[in-house]
Amino acid sequence: MIKMRTTIVLTLFLTASAATAMAKDHPGRETIEKNGYKGPATCEECHPGTAKAFLKTVHWKHASKVNNVEGLDPKKEYGMKNRIYTMCNGNDIVNNLKEIPKSPETGKTKFSGCNTCHPGNHLSDVGSTGEAAENAIDCLICHSTDYDFRNRKPYKNEKGQIVMGQDRSTKAALSISKPTVKNCMVCHEAAGGGVLVKRGFSFTPSTDVHAAKGMVCVDCHAAKDHKMPTGYDPNNWANDGMRISCDDTKCHGSKPHKDADLNRHTARIACQTCHIPRTGGAFAKDFTKWEQGPDKFYEPTTLKKEANETVPVYAWYNKTVKNTPTFIGPKGSRKDKTSKIYPFKIFQGRAFFDKKSGKLMSMDFAPPMATGDTLAGVASAAKTLGIKSYTPVPGWQTIYFGSNHLVTKSKALSCENCHAPNGVLNFKGLGYSEKEITRLTSPGIYMEYMVKKQKEDW
Amino acid sequence: MKKAVSAVIVIAIMALGLFSMTKVASAGDEIKVVAVIQTIELAKDGNSATVVLKDDKADKSITVLVDDELTLAKFKDHRIVEGDEIRLKYEVKDGKNHSTYFRKTAGC
Repeated sequence: MIKMRTTIVLTLFLTASAATAMAKDHPGRETIEKNGYKGPATCEECHPGTAKAFLKTVHWKHASKVNNVEGLDPKKEYGMKNRIYTMCNGNDIVNNLKEIPKSPETGKTKFSGCNTCHPGNHLSDVGSTGEAAENAIDCLICHSTDYDFRNRKPYKNEKGQIVMGQDRSTKAALSISKPTVKNCMVCHEAAGGGVLVKRGFSFTPSTDVHAAKGMVCVDCHAAKDHKMPTGYDPNNWANDGMRISCDDTKCHGSKPHKDADLNRHTARIACQTCHIPRTGGAFAKDFTKWEQGPDKFYEPTTLKKEANETVPVYAWYNKTVKNTPTFIGPKGSRKDKTSKIYPFKIFQGRAFFDKKSGKLMSMDFAPPMATGDTLAGVASAAKTLGIKSYTPVPGWQTIYFGSNHLVTKSKALSCENCHAPNGVLNFKGLGYSEKEITRLTSPGIYMEYMVKKQKEDW
Repeated sequence: MKKAVSAVIVIAIMALGLFSMTKVASAGDEIKVVAVIQTIELAKDGNSATVVLKDDKADKSITVLVDDELTLAKFKDHRIVEGDEIRLKYEVKDGKNHSTYFRKTAGC
């Protein structure tokens, strides 16, 4: 009997050890050590067809069909490849990675472009297909924990083409795993023109309860065939057709609290509303006026805050998006039963609009980056896009960004934050009557509940 | 009466002086600068780095100690390298400059 028990314990121990070893060392280590890393071809030895499948994802195409945004052609694909909005004012097409003209003051040049984060080599670029594209995929930038970013720099090859370098060393290939937070944040942290500019969140134990629990990005954004599930950020249009939500049954479900009173809120209030009370990042940009930096190059004038330094605004959202030249944001209402109240990061950007058509114009950053001449940037982009006649006039666009990170449990909004005069929620703006507001902003609505809770806590 | 007025004025001046001193002290706590990295020297244990930056505006070099994990990781994998322009905040503690904010100015 004792012998049998020992055997079972030993078997369990060995199985657990093997599982741990597998988690640490990706299989195939010996082969990579022996043959070296040869790019996707090495990965394909064990993962056949993966490179081809990856070319169909948003990470490669920077675009997809979009079915929840008004005014779009359902047959066409949209994303940072071709969108024009005022967080970026450019896109992969007009701001293709290029050498910026020399600064008249320093005589220096530099490389810049929206597609610098594209996981190809730029010769095989956004949305490219075929064998060359499959071989150009930078698998290790997402999968290696020992990637040397000195290699991930643009340079000119012997033909004068701009190439994005990659780290294809055996050393980097021997440190592969599922993507870590760092792998994702390499690109997603610095989007929109600088660290924490676009989305304004960091994913660290001090800023997000999921990170504090040891979770990584891909625990929620769990890819299938490299297709990434995403939420319904009104400004994040391209998607791989897979969606995630806090209330997915495998995560928190629709009744996540022990308390029935709190669970009652989830019918019309999104989890994010109480659990993401702060936001951050850029809140205003002016693309009509660029500022000169110490390196004498120019950048769009940007106002920004750190993660958790600003507060969101709240609006009804039914996961469909209003899209006009001056507004990108949530559609929904109190009457629409598919709508819930969500928090949003408000961003406002100033750029040039065409006076004739009213449409927002795009900007090629190369001219203004070198000289500050923003209209030259508009002219260059118009030429690229085949726009021959236009009259540029400055104007503002308001964008509602989804607020889906910086999740907190301990600092979540409580009854008194919303149910008070001039509280967090603007009940009038959300469609409530004066009579309802009087009731909703009185402590009478939560007094009994919180007294009971206070007694339990102490 | 004159004495009382004088006393009030003296107290007011002292209070103003104290307030000004407090303001200077708090402003001196955190120094902000945009500067270019000249050298990065990682400590052997990898838990800190000594970085020398050049502040062109003031035409002087600044040496700061960096010990936050996120920035150290960027030194180790060379996401931040010599020549990068940095938005830096630091505090002076025990005669040393301690970085409290270390970000590349460049984005996408």
